[in-house]
Amino acid sequence: MNLHKLASRLRPTVTQKFRHFHIQGSGQQLEAVVGETSSAEPSLLSVFRTSEQDPACHSERHTGQYYTIPPAHIQKLFPHGLPPRFQLQVKTFNEGCVMVRPPALELISYLKRVDYSKPPLRYILYGDTGSGKTLSLCHALHYCYTQGWLILHIPDAHLWVKNCKELLPSSSRPSRFDQPIQASQWLKNFKITNERFLSKIKTTQRYVWTKRESTEEGRPLGELVDQGVNRMKSSSDVVGAVLRELRLQAGGATDGEGAFKLAVAVDGVNALWGKTTLKKEDKTMCEPEELTLIHNLRKMMKNDWSGGAILTALSQTGSLFKPRSAYLPNELLGEEGFDNMEPFVPVSVPNYSEKEFESCYLYYLDRNWLQHPHSRSEEGKKELIFLSNKNPSILERLCAFL
Amino acid sequence: MAASVRYLLKPWTPSLCFVRWSRYNPYYLDPDPSKDAVPESELSPEQKELQELKTVRPIKAALSSDTSSPFNDPLMSKFINMMMEDGNKILARGIMTQTLETIKRRQVEKYHKSPAAKREEVECNPYAIFHQALENCKPIIGLASVQKGGKFYQVPVPLTDNRRRFLAMKWLITECRDNKHRRTHMYEKLSQELLAAFANEGNVVKRKQDLHKMAEANRAYAHYRWW
Repeated sequence: MNLHKLASRLRPTVTQKFRHFHIQGSGQQLEAVVGETSSAEPSLLSVFRTSEQDPACHSERHTGQYYTIPPAHIQKLFPHGLPPRFQLQVKTFNEGCVMVRPPALELISYLKRVDYSKPPLRYILYGDTGSGKTLSLCHALHYCYTQGWLILHIPDAHLWVKNCKELLPSSSRPSRFDQPIQASQWLKNFKITNERFLSKIKTTQRYVWTKRESTEEGRPLGELVDQGVNRMKSSSDVVGAVLRELRLQAGGATDGEGAFKLAVAVDGVNALWGKTTLKKEDKTMCEPEELTLIHNLRKMMKNDWSGGAILTALSQTGSLFKPRSAYLPNELLGEEGFDNMEPFVPVSVPNYSEKEFESCYLYYLDRNWLQHPHSRSEEGKKELIFLSNKNPSILERLCAFL
Repeated sequence: MAASVRYLLKPWTPSLCFVRWSRYNPYYLDPDPSKDAVPESELSPEQKELQELKTVRPIKAALSSDTSSPFNDPLMSKFINMMMEDGNKILARGIMTQTLETIKRRQVEKYHKSPAAKREEVECNPYAIFHQALENCKPIIGLASVQKGGKFYQVPVPLTDNRRRFLAMKWLITECRDNKHRRTHMYEKLSQELLAAFANEGNVVKRKQDLHKMAEANRAYAHYRWW
């Protein structure tokens, strides 16, 4: 009897009996089966979870399974990176679990094999709204973090081109505009993520902020970042300086303390080449080119440096003046954006497959999230598949009130 | 007799169509959109009679808000209709789903943070909480204003089921609309009230208890009721 249960467990399609077993999970039965699984798959405690916590070791056999990101990593790496609904989920379930999916695995495999002395490759994650692009990006970033890279994560570039309360004319250049609040907020989060690099990297040039303030050559990057956080007025220029320093030094230094790899992660990259909703003082529309932050970020997207990778994801949700049905890189980036980003490696992010949906369903059952008695039956599951079309975000919103 | 009934049954559409009134001949039966068919043997004699009647009599048109899915809850639909303003059902339904989500999040968080011994006591099902909270808010006895000898007396009076349900829902909604801080969202206010009512605390349950006390105090006037 136990062997039958073991066999049905290792098969991806789950039978009613197994699910019943899994939910009840009485002590003695679990121990007995674990004793038998120890020879087969020691890491599989259940079908939808894996105990493999290191993203570098994730492979195709982990597809559809959830792995837990340690809370310390979430605090450090994602002070601003995770989607808001996912943050709520992490708070509710008391754990941050991400599903291992083929697009993220593809990205990580590319990152493992690339030669880092050449210019960086640009990867674009594209897919339908709510199909999991941002979370795949976060999974790849977690891999980079565990490998000790320096993470430059812009959680949503759309936030820099709309709803800006303070738009100051730039202190350094006459035709540019600064966004002090956004820049200082980003610098604070950057500091939290990359604490250990801040004292090791040194500036290569003297930066003058005002008549009395300047940062000398050879000072640690931490000082530059503090300058931006404390002095809001020059924070956008500080961001530009930080980006420039990192670009120059990414692969440059020889092995030793200074060597680090740079991961540039931008979500909503189509904001850089779209339109803004910000107005100048004479009520004309602002171009993205005229914003300091966007201008510096565009320079980062060019592959004239070496020693890292550029991971990006498109996003229609926060985009301006783009139709709801647009999801391809051509449509969302526009002509200018496409020409700038070319050549890039496109990675498609589809909706859940059968196995992944099954896994998500079991995860919600396990976390006591699906409460309605009908949603726990076979009929209810078919209804959920029909209503959500296996789209991850729609499924999440449906299960939230069921 | 049969002829007059048949005349009543003739499909008659008024020349002026009132948007908010759908007045059916009482001969028409209510629709039952659920899919499950209870087998013949389990029905009581009255229910068997009802089944017979359904094959003969005409049935009213189903509302567009009712589905055949078991996720459809008539009590929930009633509450959403009461919360709706200006016919904006989408907004009212959205508020209700957000309320259910908030309740569930709070309870599931509590569930995951509590030790294994206390987990059984935490109720996570938002539908169960909603039903129980509504039950806790329903008054058992009400007051009616009766005129006797030139004066009006508040007389304790029994309430029908529909009236009790209506009062409970009305009190919940007005409590959330009026007595809370104006900058909080409706779904937050509702979820707080529902969770409090589930635990038999909060302003709505207090209002029900005040009504009971008034009815108890006016017990002497009970004889003024003639119905």
